[in-house]
Amino acid sequence: MVENRPFLNFLAHLVLILGVTIVVFPVYVAFIASSHGPNDFLSGVVPLTPGSHIIENYSTMLSSGMTSSGAPPIGPMMINSLIMAVGVAVGKIAISILSAFAIVYFRFPFRTLAFWMIFITLMLPVEVRIVPTYKVVADLGMLNNYGGLIIPLIASATATFLFRQFFLTVPDELMEAARVDGAGPMKFFRDILLPLSITNIAALFIILFVLGWNQYLWPLIITTDQSFYTVVMGIQRMAAVADAEPRWNLVMAAVILAALPPVLVIVAMQRLFVKGLVETEK
Amino acid sequence: MATINIIDVKKNYGAVPAVKGINLSVADGELIVLVGPSGCGKSTLLRMVAGLETISEGDVEIAGRNVNKAEPADRDIAMVFQNYALYPHMTVRGNLEYGLKNRGTERAEINRRVAEAAEILEIGPMLDRKPRELSGGQRQRVAMGRAIVREPAAFLFDEPLSNLDAKLRVQMRVEIRRLQRRLKTTSIYVTHDQLEAMTLADRLVVMNGGLVEQVGTPVAVYDRPASLFVASFIGSPPMNLVPVDVVRAADSAGTLVLPAGTDMVGLRPDALLVIKPVEPTVRLNATVELLEPIGGESHLHVRLGKSQRTVVLTVPGRPDFAENANIDVFARVDAMHPFNSDTGKRTD
Amino acid sequence: MQTKRTVFPNKLLPYLLIAPQIFVTVVFFLWPAATAFWQSFLRQDAFGFKTNFVWFENYRRLFADPIYINAFGHTLIFAILVTVLSTAIALLLAAAAMRVLRTSRIYSTLLIWPYAVAPAIAGILWWFMFNPSIGIVAYMLRAMGVSWNHLINPDDAMTLIVIAATWKQISYNFLFFLAALQSVPRSLQEAGAIDGAGPVKRFWTIVFPLISPTTFYLIVINIVYAMFDTFGIVHATTQGGPARATEILVYKVYFDGFIGLNLGSSAAQSVILMVIVVALTAVQFRFIERRVQY
Repeated sequence: MVENRPFLNFLAHLVLILGVTIVVFPVYVAFIASSHGPNDFLSGVVPLTPGSHIIENYSTMLSSGMTSSGAPPIGPMMINSLIMAVGVAVGKIAISILSAFAIVYFRFPFRTLAFWMIFITLMLPVEVRIVPTYKVVADLGMLNNYGGLIIPLIASATATFLFRQFFLTVPDELMEAARVDGAGPMKFFRDILLPLSITNIAALFIILFVLGWNQYLWPLIITTDQSFYTVVMGIQRMAAVADAEPRWNLVMAAVILAALPPVLVIVAMQRLFVKGLVETEK
Repeated sequence: MATINIIDVKKNYGAVPAVKGINLSVADGELIVLVGPSGCGKSTLLRMVAGLETISEGDVEIAGRNVNKAEPADRDIAMVFQNYALYPHMTVRGNLEYGLKNRGTERAEINRRVAEAAEILEIGPMLDRKPRELSGGQRQRVAMGRAIVREPAAFLFDEPLSNLDAKLRVQMRVEIRRLQRRLKTTSIYVTHDQLEAMTLADRLVVMNGGLVEQVGTPVAVYDRPASLFVASFIGSPPMNLVPVDVVRAADSAGTLVLPAGTDMVGLRPDALLVIKPVEPTVRLNATVELLEPIGGESHLHVRLGKSQRTVVLTVPGRPDFAENANIDVFARVDAMHPFNSDTGKRTD
Repeated sequence: MQTKRTVFPNKLLPYLLIAPQIFVTVVFFLWPAATAFWQSFLRQDAFGFKTNFVWFENYRRLFADPIYINAFGHTLIFAILVTVLSTAIALLLAAAAMRVLRTSRIYSTLLIWPYAVAPAIAGILWWFMFNPSIGIVAYMLRAMGVSWNHLINPDDAMTLIVIAATWKQISYNFLFFLAALQSVPRSLQEAGAIDGAGPVKRFWTIVFPLISPTTFYLIVINIVYAMFDTFGIVHATTQGGPARATEILVYKVYFDGFIGLNLGSSAAQSVILMVIVVALTAVQFRFIERRVQY
């Protein structure tokens, strides 16, 4: 802002407040809905103020779910989501950082080929190869288990590129000094490269955790056993009920629960998250 | 005996030769300086000695042992880098200890060496700080400390002072010299700065285009440059190179005797005078182009006679020369360096 | 390809380090992609006994199928609407945030969290708000005399998923626009002001052209998002209906493959989608230099 234009400032605030309202409104409505009892919707008008059934609704969803609509309790599903999200994040980071290390700090035959193979995964999101990937996973007997949920998702070109780009900015002399100091490649990796990469790893972890938690299509097709449902895909069964009107207060409680962990993570780590986002996509 | 022998060492990057066959013997405790312009191969040679570049041909021996295939860590060398290369996430103490820890040195011995290095370099108060909290000069001292604690057979310096400002550079130069004298460790030092080379070296190795132009003590190289390249590289302001007929034309008495094949004559700025000295000289006619006072003396740029060739003289004080004034310049015959421009070499 | 000037000499170690990623890539990415490619040229007969190699027959059928063309069209409309709306709104918000820089941290926090919400959940939230009987937005629309029923009206359904997809994507775009706007040197704005340009004029003639790499990048990313990441929105809400009005390509691949069990057609659709992604990624890398240097 160069000159002082109070009207424009006012307008800017207005726009921002409007934006925030639009962004927050659906969640507010959901939260309100989740706090009401089952009969508060029958009148046809949705209330705008919190009800008194918060504890009751949330604990019901967490523990027993809505067995009438075939929806399992949210609690176990959230644990599955947690395992999947952490597994995907850790898995992606681990194999990507090792690959980036290999590509940057070594020269070997087929290095370029390996690089392009990893690059290609950018162009193959799971939605595009869904049936054959399912078949492979099924053939390997990995349906309905955590391995099947996690492992097929952990080849990530973005993470590899990020680490590669970061490693390229690490001064050459650091590695040379370490070599003179008697450090072999893995020692160098552990003692020097890894500590320097901590910020990148943390930022990436946040993004990948959110990505892993929000996986929808993949858990949908490879889990038929309810005990392996993740929460984001499990919710669908409650909401899109064909014949009866879903029990919205419980559905909304489930929705809030399902959306909460990743939102908390990025709000708490906002700085790190923003840095990671802008860095990975550059 | 920590001698270093470089025997006919060559380095090729694909089809491009960077180092074309270097032979050099460094005596125990000697500080040898590799000096030359960018791209002459001096850093490449140093890195081959260190083990950071593979040797295409030839042999490197350190303390009598052939180290061609040895890893840098096994060559008993320590290196000081241009960019210090301190581990940013470790404290100064951590940086100093890292190499010793990797070698399994005992804790007591590590502590002793770190304390000693800290004392020599006066970095004791900084031991628990991180590199980013230190100034450039302090970081460079820590980098040297890292080399010292290793107690290696040889130090390798890769342009360690290039990142420091001019004043600090002078100060650190003296410190490095003093340190090396005290520890008596064989050292190879690479720089592109000829002044640094002159002040630090026991012996100089002037390199150009992957080859050695001349090896000798700084004084010897300065007094008798073996080639045109060395003549113009060592010394500041650089030696003036004048075609021989300009000099002969001014030699009215015909007393000038130059070796056969000489077609260029080199004259240092202090070998050209504006007042006739007692030593035999040749008188040249010149026009003043520019006077640069630098304090206690001045650099005088003149155009020689008909050839219009510009030479630089150092004159004491701040004489009052007008631009385009016509003056006499006296060239000392005993200070002429004869060269042949086809071979590029000295003719005597 | 760029490397460090010094590398470690180990010969076997790099292969070990890269093995896990290559393994997962080959087994779960490349092999299935190749299978899809191959399968798109096959067709099972009516009884499922014999499989024939039919060249481009599957592709021909797809492009002759009005339902597929419809899905293509829906996807196009959907992608364009979502991209245009979410980038425009995000740009507006980012510009506004720049104006009130001191408080922008708070606004940022309040605006970026939808990124963490899964598309499916975004869909369910808006589905709830637009619910004809109890949805609050539906209620407000009725009060204004607009009738709304996304269960019956195809345009309403499309509007719903567009809104849900846009809502979620605004925060991502906002973050990038904000970063881009903050990187424009203040001195340029000051020079513009001295040259007599007011804030709005300055924005369009100086700032906006300077952030065009970011804008371009976001447009490509948004298109990819709209085409591929929005599966959850459709599946959790409209399921392609009513009457296929919201059947976008990525949903159709799933539906034909898993529900309809038409493997050849689904494979052909997969390959077509792959071609689209490759084209979009190529555009992204070609024209946006800020990416990885080779």
